[in-house]
Amino acid sequence: MSPLPNNPLLEQFLLESRELLEVIGQKLMQLEDSPNDRRMIDDLFRSVHTLKGNSGLFTFPEMTRVLHAGEDLLGKVRNGEMTFSRELADRLLDAMDFVGVLGIEIESTGSIDAGRAADSARLGESLRALIVNPAGSAQSSAAKSTPVTTKSAADPLGGIPGLSKVPEALRLEAFRRCGDGEKFHWIAYQPVPECFFQGDDPFHRARQTPGLLWGGVLPSEPLPPLVELDTYKCSLKFHLLTAAFHEELAEYFRYVLDQIEMVAVDPLWLAISECEPEQRAGIEDKLVSGSRVSEPATSPEAQEEAAALTRIVTAQEQILAFDDRPAWLTGRLKAVAGVLKNLARSLGNAEAEGQVETSLAAAQASSSPRPLLEWLNAHRSHFASRYVAEPAANPGRVNVEVEPADSDPSRAAAGNGSKFGRRAEDNQAGPRSLKVDQAKIDRLMNLIGELVVEKNALPYLAQRAEAQYGVRELSREIKGQYSVINRIADEMQDAIMQVRMMAVSTVFQRFPRLVRDISHKLGKEVELVLEGEQTEADKNVIEALGDPLIHIVRNSLDHGLETPEVRRASGKPATGTLRIRAAQQADRVVIEIVDDGKGVDPAVIKRKAYEKGLIDEAALERMDDRSAVNLIFAAGLSTAEVVSDLSGRGVGMDVVRTAVEKLNGTVIVDSELGKGTSIRISLPLSMAVTQVMVIESDGQLFGVPMDHVIETVRVPRHCIHRIKQSMTAVLRGRVVPLKALNGLLGIAAQHRANADDELSVLLVQAGGGVLGLLVDGFRETLGVIQKPMPGFLSSLSNWSGSALMGDGSVLMILNIREIV
Amino acid sequence: MPIEFKRNRVIFREEVRVEEAEALLEALQNKPSSKVDLAACTHLHTANLQVLMAAGSCIDKWPQDAQLRTWLEAVLLPRS
Repeated sequence: MSPLPNNPLLEQFLLESRELLEVIGQKLMQLEDSPNDRRMIDDLFRSVHTLKGNSGLFTFPEMTRVLHAGEDLLGKVRNGEMTFSRELADRLLDAMDFVGVLGIEIESTGSIDAGRAADSARLGESLRALIVNPAGSAQSSAAKSTPVTTKSAADPLGGIPGLSKVPEALRLEAFRRCGDGEKFHWIAYQPVPECFFQGDDPFHRARQTPGLLWGGVLPSEPLPPLVELDTYKCSLKFHLLTAAFHEELAEYFRYVLDQIEMVAVDPLWLAISECEPEQRAGIEDKLVSGSRVSEPATSPEAQEEAAALTRIVTAQEQILAFDDRPAWLTGRLKAVAGVLKNLARSLGNAEAEGQVETSLAAAQASSSPRPLLEWLNAHRSHFASRYVAEPAANPGRVNVEVEPADSDPSRAAAGNGSKFGRRAEDNQAGPRSLKVDQAKIDRLMNLIGELVVEKNALPYLAQRAEAQYGVRELSREIKGQYSVINRIADEMQDAIMQVRMMAVSTVFQRFPRLVRDISHKLGKEVELVLEGEQTEADKNVIEALGDPLIHIVRNSLDHGLETPEVRRASGKPATGTLRIRAAQQADRVVIEIVDDGKGVDPAVIKRKAYEKGLIDEAALERMDDRSAVNLIFAAGLSTAEVVSDLSGRGVGMDVVRTAVEKLNGTVIVDSELGKGTSIRISLPLSMAVTQVMVIESDGQLFGVPMDHVIETVRVPRHCIHRIKQSMTAVLRGRVVPLKALNGLLGIAAQHRANADDELSVLLVQAGGGVLGLLVDGFRETLGVIQKPMPGFLSSLSNWSGSALMGDGSVLMILNIREIV
Repeated sequence: MPIEFKRNRVIFREEVRVEEAEALLEALQNKPSSKVDLAACTHLHTANLQVLMAAGSCIDKWPQDAQLRTWLEAVLLPRS
């Protein structure tokens, strides 16, 4: 029903995270009113901690990072190292909102968009900033909050000392590509020393960096002599120069985002990184003036353009005239040539471009800037006058010429943009499942239920056609149609049930933790074995199963399994085993909870039940051990006092029984003293359609749920023995008590016998025993939708509900347990 | 074995993983003069790289993989 059908754990996580976030939000706001409430802070910390821990089960580094920062922060508050402040609450709320957004994103697309990484890092940093600087001044956090964002504007040259390591040729290539509109990023990647243990290979990561132009390795601290080198501690760091987009890099490095520093490279840095500091300033000015306008001339003002051109050309001249240091000459030449070429290209002058190339070659050959300078001088006036004049005279032409150079980068960008766009679309096109509101499914379920019932009208119709109108042919045809509709309706019902099916693993998931916690608390060693987690049942059944199961498991741990010492003393392995097994049997799901603990002593139970007046003396004598053990489900026996006396199970066992019976299920205990206990819960796979057997008594029809029916027999009247007020009969070699349905329902009439003087007896299973119900006759079995008794009628405990029959009459369903 | 240790030579082949680093360190400690042959190497784990850097080993043959070679040439010493 969601895009993550294969990961119930993730679904669970998303669900829980929503709840936790809500709680966290509330607590944060309450704390603002009473910032010193220790318990509240503890709770808050625990919630954030839980959420962080859960998120760590999945690979959502963006989410975990923020939560981790939040946890650290709250940890400080909890330890009293910081005080809870409004700003702290604000930032935490921001962070939690972000986590919520991520959750929604995961739910709808199955992953987190790469673009979130930067936000995540920013939020994480802003939280940590509070830790570092509890005063939390806005400035410090603002500065801290931009670790991976573009720093291009700030600090033009100081940022990248490592850039000088890049070979000149590459740097100039990059510079040239900058002119073509590409953007470069400088990444300082400092892997954490223990990264090898996390299966990380930083060198590999660095090598695979997208758009990598240059990369360098250097020791993060001077490498120790070989003898002292720790092979498994990463002591290298990496410098990378790449042409990839910021988003792409952020995604590539998403797992190590805290280990990298990414800076957008200003083209200037590429051109001059090798200069001496004092020369830098001068060159910088010139280049700044030059390169600013060497960017494609977008200004529409021809005048401004002209002035800009002049400035560029002058700047180039000055660079060329610079005091010569042979070592840097080549670089300078190339830089100037690059600027001039870009200039020419941006103005659409291919000829000039070629000339610059030639002059550059000449200049390089002669190791002097002269050829370039000469070309510049020769063309300067030309440059200025021509380009000043022409755009004004014929702006259209310039625009046309400018276009290719200008549009290239933008096209590249657009191309890349669309690539990203497409990927996003792919993600969305992926999910093949729908998320549907449960109410809609329920409606479908009701409708199909009505159809199932309605189709039952057809056999009646067929009957009438034959009996009343004597059209045998028509009757047969209706029956034929009925069988087709029957089949389709059955299949449809099955299909809709499938939609509502959930695996029991959703309930089982919480047990490992529960068992672990409880057993630790009790000082017992317990191994939990889960089986058949994939067994499916209706959502309502599964959901209703949770609480009873927890009761049972808790009981098993508390009263069933012994402490290691006791176990060893009785010759059992010290570690007890608790086995929870689910399986489908026909149209029921059976769940067994088996422990190898000390079991339940039937004698004690019987005595207690007798003392409580639940059974009489005769029953006390007669009752076999199995029935006795099942007495633990009796309501009166499950009070705490009795349980502690019993030192057996009992707490909430009647809660278990009630819950299970509400689902039309049964629960049975088997226990062997000293060997262990097994509790078996059997539930219908679905609760929507109930199979009932229709019986007749005094001319009225009643329904008996098939779950209770064992068999139908006819007993000759003379075989029924009366013992005082009670009737019994021997059926299949055992004595079965008989009760007249008429008597139970307060109907005055006697039960009718058939021609052979036999009475109809419906054998039912009720409350752990077998009972024969005297009725007048048996009818068919039907699938009906049982509606609970409405309003005041709901207090009539004799009836479990009513159902509509195919012929429009109402069928009352007997609540067997209550009437016997 | 991705690393082969010969008398006076260490030969890297294909992808050299983190597990090899220990042995490499030991070999280079015992015989610091060993020459390193990277010709057939396509990648070496960071751990191995830092051992080579710390040992200051002479690289006898550079990797055929051009990209790897560029990376390594900048930090490792050529044959002296």
